[in-house]
Amino acid sequence: MTHQRFLRSVAHIALLALAPALSAQAQTIDYGSLELLFNEPVTTSATGSPQRSTEAPVAMEIISAEDIRRSGATDIPTILSRVAGVDVLTWGAGGAADVSIRGYDQGYSPRLLVLINGRQVYLDHYGYTAWATLPVELSEIRQIEVVKGPNSALFGFNAVGGVVNIITYNPKYDQTTSATVQGGSGGTFNGNVVDSFKLGSDFAARVSAGYSRTDQYENVTATAPVNAAYLVNPERRAVNVDTLAQLAARTQLRVEASYSRVQQSDVDPLYEYTPPVYTTKSAKATLSSETGLGLAELTAYRNRVDLDYLFSIGPVSWSNTIDVLSAQDLFKVGTASTVRLAFEYRHNQLPTAPIGAAEVSYRVYAPSAMWNWAVSDKVALTTALRVDSLHVERSGGFPAATPFIPGLPGLEWPLQDNATFTRSMAPVSANVGLVVRPSAVDTLRVSYARGVQAPTLIEFGGIQALVPEPQIPVAFMGNPAIEPAIIVNYEAGYDRSLPAIGGRAGLKVFYQTTDGLVGNPSATNILVPPSFTVIPGVGPVPTSLPGVGWANVGSSKLSGAELQIDGKLAGGYRWGFNYTYTHVTETPYAGQDLMAVDVAFDRSTPSSRANLNFGWSGGPFTADGYLRYVSGFSLFSPAGALEPVPAYTTLAARLGYAIGPKVSVAVAAENLTHGRQQQTSGLLVERRALLSLTAHW
Amino acid sequence: MEFRTARAAACVAVAALLIAPAAALADPAKDLQVAARALGFLEAAPTGSVVLGIVFDPAKPATVAERDALLAALGPGLGAGDMKITGQGIEAGKVGAASGVTALYVTSGVNYAEVGAAASAKKLLTISGDKACAQAGHCVMSVVTSPAVEITVNHNAATAVGASFKAAFRMMIHEI
Repeated sequence: MTHQRFLRSVAHIALLALAPALSAQAQTIDYGSLELLFNEPVTTSATGSPQRSTEAPVAMEIISAEDIRRSGATDIPTILSRVAGVDVLTWGAGGAADVSIRGYDQGYSPRLLVLINGRQVYLDHYGYTAWATLPVELSEIRQIEVVKGPNSALFGFNAVGGVVNIITYNPKYDQTTSATVQGGSGGTFNGNVVDSFKLGSDFAARVSAGYSRTDQYENVTATAPVNAAYLVNPERRAVNVDTLAQLAARTQLRVEASYSRVQQSDVDPLYEYTPPVYTTKSAKATLSSETGLGLAELTAYRNRVDLDYLFSIGPVSWSNTIDVLSAQDLFKVGTASTVRLAFEYRHNQLPTAPIGAAEVSYRVYAPSAMWNWAVSDKVALTTALRVDSLHVERSGGFPAATPFIPGLPGLEWPLQDNATFTRSMAPVSANVGLVVRPSAVDTLRVSYARGVQAPTLIEFGGIQALVPEPQIPVAFMGNPAIEPAIIVNYEAGYDRSLPAIGGRAGLKVFYQTTDGLVGNPSATNILVPPSFTVIPGVGPVPTSLPGVGWANVGSSKLSGAELQIDGKLAGGYRWGFNYTYTHVTETPYAGQDLMAVDVAFDRSTPSSRANLNFGWSGGPFTADGYLRYVSGFSLFSPAGALEPVPAYTTLAARLGYAIGPKVSVAVAAENLTHGRQQQTSGLLVERRALLSLTAHW
Repeated sequence: MEFRTARAAACVAVAALLIAPAAALADPAKDLQVAARALGFLEAAPTGSVVLGIVFDPAKPATVAERDALLAALGPGLGAGDMKITGQGIEAGKVGAASGVTALYVTSGVNYAEVGAAASAKKLLTISGDKACAQAGHCVMSVVTSPAVEITVNHNAATAVGASFKAAFRMMIHEI
């Protein structure tokens, strides 16, 4: 059965199964009403079930629309950088950054799962997130949910460092209209518009579009300048459509579609600058219904991303397509248990590049279950399990032989057998969380999580490149033997609401192990040694290329603690402080040299990061300041050496003024204390200021 | 020295803040507002003009005072979702004769068993600011808002009056 036929069949069966529900009952989650009811944010990111943020069995934070508006930020990484335990490596202007939760900072960080309304928006070919490609305008975001630690029992692999789930306003429940223009230093111009409308009582839509451009930072680093060919002025275009149709009293169909095109300069896993052009397209449909058997949901979506890179080996273009079909039912059993049963199918395909004529793909069949047991009104236990049955395939031919010694046959490409790349694996993810609420203001959490970071399609063989080396050319290729990394996290936390100051305080401690750290391709890590033949009178001569690729190279341990407190003061003041400490140690596998494969998370993870924010609102004015401190750490440079990044402190601020109920202006600035500041091994980050004008209608 | 004194004072203040038990002062008007919103999560949520019966015991001044506070909070009509809620005082002993009300708000301290039985017989949903009423099965729902919102629904009491709540709501409250 072909892939398309399979998808059609599954969709047909699922729709038939759900058909009786169409006349039954159900709705999507109305975040606004529930938030108003419980006087706190609600989330579905922790267990898949709607929960109050204070009762979630994981460490998580929710950034509200008000927080986003008052952040003064124009990109999501800047907003995330103020969350406890989040590290941001800003490589260039326009939001070109890598985000890590609780360390393991690296270029094209593949440990974070990023979603918009549950749709994955990280780039699946290598598992990283190019934040500017996210087809969402800040003004249409209801909240950003940040889950810390592995949560792949709910979301699947990649959710190992954490999950960032961006929840937009619901076109049915939320009327969102705004237009914003911004201009400022560095030739920055941003413009976006968001509009919501209804057609009758059963159809609602929200449409957004945005354009932004800015000048790249000056080509100044702490050491040598970057090759200018890799630096571009970032530019972004994005359009998003979100519609919701009420099919029956309690049945809704939500259809979302998006497009984005972005060019920026970011830093690849080999710590080289590259100026990729990303073109993303997505379409998603979600049918949800409140049936007699619970909240049933059927989702199908396709993500397509076209990527045009320029690496040191030359231009490389990929087209990655992923299809996802999932079904879930969420229901209560008796009065104390909430159960979620789900099944997800995904197909992910990537034609090889820069040498094509082949394709690497995998299929995943992933059943999962979650059980939330309210033992009493003070104790709840959540258990979640998921199995990702993953099947990798390779189809197509192999690169032609490479001429090496005149008069002799060329060097054959290694592993010329598609069967070698056929792999099956079924890693298990688990999350167990105990939440105890001894009083209405105290919450204790103890959790265990086992997360899976599956190899990416690039690592499985999506890359095929011939790299000229002085002695012998090298085949840059996939590693069919690469294994998933397994991340195990133990955590305990205590949170206390502080009604007296309108805030809360919390302390968390965590310990995490990672087995199967992935190292970069390196001459010290030959996947396939060259074959030789002996020519009489000449001696041994190579007949095949040596192959290098990504490989599992070691294990690591992370321990840390997180402290945070926030509150409000009379007169419209608010404040917050958080501090996170992390310590990473690594152990190489036998025969591995971690430095040679760009693995040094013990040094690339800062030991300390802290945020202090202070805000005030009075009448038409709002004023906010954000101070961030990061202790010194080291990052790899393109030369392969670790470069020290000294400790730094940044200050950002925003001053807003509401001209009337529908128009406001704001001035915001980042990196106020320094004209240029080293925050990575790459370009120095510049001070930038912006003036914004926003209108609502 | 001054710095050390200030630092010590700050430490004491923070410790006091964290150690001190949170004040749990009942606020009937706030409870009522949350209760009104919770009504919107009924499967057959009322819409339009809704009359809430405020059940009190004339022999118990505290319940009379709570009734007065609640009626004042409702005023000419409290908006909650698609509802506009007005109030009507009902003596605890006369619940069986109540008419024209959509639901009952039971003030803290009345005879819950008596009121619950009468309301159940009339298929009237009952809400209280006292968790004990729902825990004992005399009220369908209790709503406490201070220091944090706590909503408890008694499943049997709800079934008895034919009330059922939306699935998402049921997953977020304490159900017994």
